[in-house]
Amino acid sequence: MKFTLHIWRQPGPEARGQMMTYRIDGITGDMSFLEMIDVLNERLIKDGIEPVAFDHDCREGICGSCSMMINGLAHGPERGATTCQLHMRSFRDGDEIYIEPWRAKAFPVLRDLVVDRSAFDRIVQSGGYVNVNTGGAPDGNSLPIPKADADKAMDAAQCIGCGACAAACPNASAMLFVAAKVGHLGSMPQGQAEQSARVRTMIATHDREGFGHCTNIGECEAACPKEISTEFIAGLNRDYIASAVKSAVKGEARGGF
Amino acid sequence: MSATSSAINPKGPRTETATANPIAWVCDYLCSSVGQKVLVAITGTLLVTFVLFHMIGNLKMFAGPESINKYAYFLKHDLGAMIWIARGGLLGCFLLHLTLALWLKSRATAARPIGYAYGGNAQATPASKTMMQTGLVVGVFVLFHLAHYTFGTVHGVPSPDGKGETNYLDLQYKMPDGKMVHNVYAMVVAGFSTPWISLVYLLCQIVLFVHLSHGIQSAFQTLGLVNRRFVKVARALGVGIAGAIVAGNFAIVIAIWGGWVK
Ligand code: HEM
Ligand code: FES
Repeated sequence: MKFTLHIWRQPGPEARGQMMTYRIDGITGDMSFLEMIDVLNERLIKDGIEPVAFDHDCREGICGSCSMMINGLAHGPERGATTCQLHMRSFRDGDEIYIEPWRAKAFPVLRDLVVDRSAFDRIVQSGGYVNVNTGGAPDGNSLPIPKADADKAMDAAQCIGCGACAAACPNASAMLFVAAKVGHLGSMPQGQAEQSARVRTMIATHDREGFGHCTNIGECEAACPKEISTEFIAGLNRDYIASAVKSAVKGEARGGF
Repeated sequence: MSATSSAINPKGPRTETATANPIAWVCDYLCSSVGQKVLVAITGTLLVTFVLFHMIGNLKMFAGPESINKYAYFLKHDLGAMIWIARGGLLGCFLLHLTLALWLKSRATAARPIGYAYGGNAQATPASKTMMQTGLVVGVFVLFHLAHYTFGTVHGVPSPDGKGETNYLDLQYKMPDGKMVHNVYAMVVAGFSTPWISLVYLLCQIVLFVHLSHGIQSAFQTLGLVNRRFVKVARALGVGIAGAIVAGNFAIVIAIWGGWVK
């Protein structure tokens, strides 16, 4: 298969970038999208050109590194797939493919397709965890958790933090990411205890990092390689309103985290 | 406190902490993107409620001059101070909705300084992506509507002798009990007998429908009132309520324009 690739090239964080066009052939439908870029990079290296920088790690759809916008869709056209799980058979021979980095103020481009996603780390650091005292491990079944709750927590916990939600959102909002973390912890009794403070602090960090707000457009849900539902955003909003009311009525402490 | 006390941490009034500060609560909750979005949703829902009842009230046009003129008189004169409370509340909702929506939008624009070379969409509806444009049209329309019927400054009723016009607000109607009241019926008929005015109203109603067809279901989501089971219901409710508002208002304009209501 042959393709014409338009790829964002930017030598460094402060440097000016531009779309560059490359033609590539000898690609088979069984190659993953990343393997296709590997082939391109080998050729570029042979020609003495700087290869295209992109993030990747597991190449099995679980780490969330392989972030790129492919023809205007985060992780390309396949539903529920990361870029490394996207195969070239999803394209037609001779297609033009536009490859761009995630675009958000909170995700500055480091080089070519690589962006700095540490904004997500800072959001998690501001509440995306459960405080537990160390000590003897409790008995496994001492805390009854209904299967439905465990399932819901698992649905949200699938989030691999790739950033596709924020990249796909017309407002560059990372609300689906925050909702997944909050929904995952809040579905379990261990996480419930701190949920009220968690929603406030994580949203505060989300806003401070420069992400936009949610207008319920739903592009994030379509982009998410783990198909996390915007239902979790409704849940986040519910918990946020509950937290505001609780804090106003009960004068609940601001602290917690 | 005794002046001679040398206590290091003397007893006295309660010391203030951050948790005791109401302003801190406002800053924490109402200044965040979620808090402001919730306010946009609440004010939007109140505006929808108003627009819905406004439309139902206007349907009295079909019940004849006496019915709508009596209703209008009741709203304006029998409610006393209530009408000013309602007007103030509406104005407040309108301004809060508008300012917060525009403020959030400016933040969202800043959140993506460099756009994509290749635009793509997986499931976004056109209505959801044009809330700002449709909202601004609705906002301008509301001002026009007020100038037209509340202040009577857009258009007048041509006098029967062909010379000059009568101001909308000077139209009088004699109730069966002999009381003279404002003739709202004649005013509305005069308005929608004018094609360009009818056209403006019809077009703006369509824009309002687009704003609300996303807005109502979006408000359900923003207020956390949906889950996977009821999201479809919220969507249907949104289109249904928006449709009912627009259908009712359309009926009045078209009935007059077409000459069925005179
Ligand atoms: C001054 C004119 C208006 C402007 C500029 C405006 C603008 C907007 C914008 C930009 C949004 C999306 C907010 C966001 O998601 O960030 C919105 C939402 C909404 N608007 Fe308006 N609007 C206006 C008037 C109205 C009116 C008159 C109504 C009701 C009849 C209304 C009902 C709603 C509703 C229900 C929402 C949904 C709230 C949500 O997404 O949770 N708006 N408006
Ligand atoms: S490389 Fe790990 S998810 Fe794609």
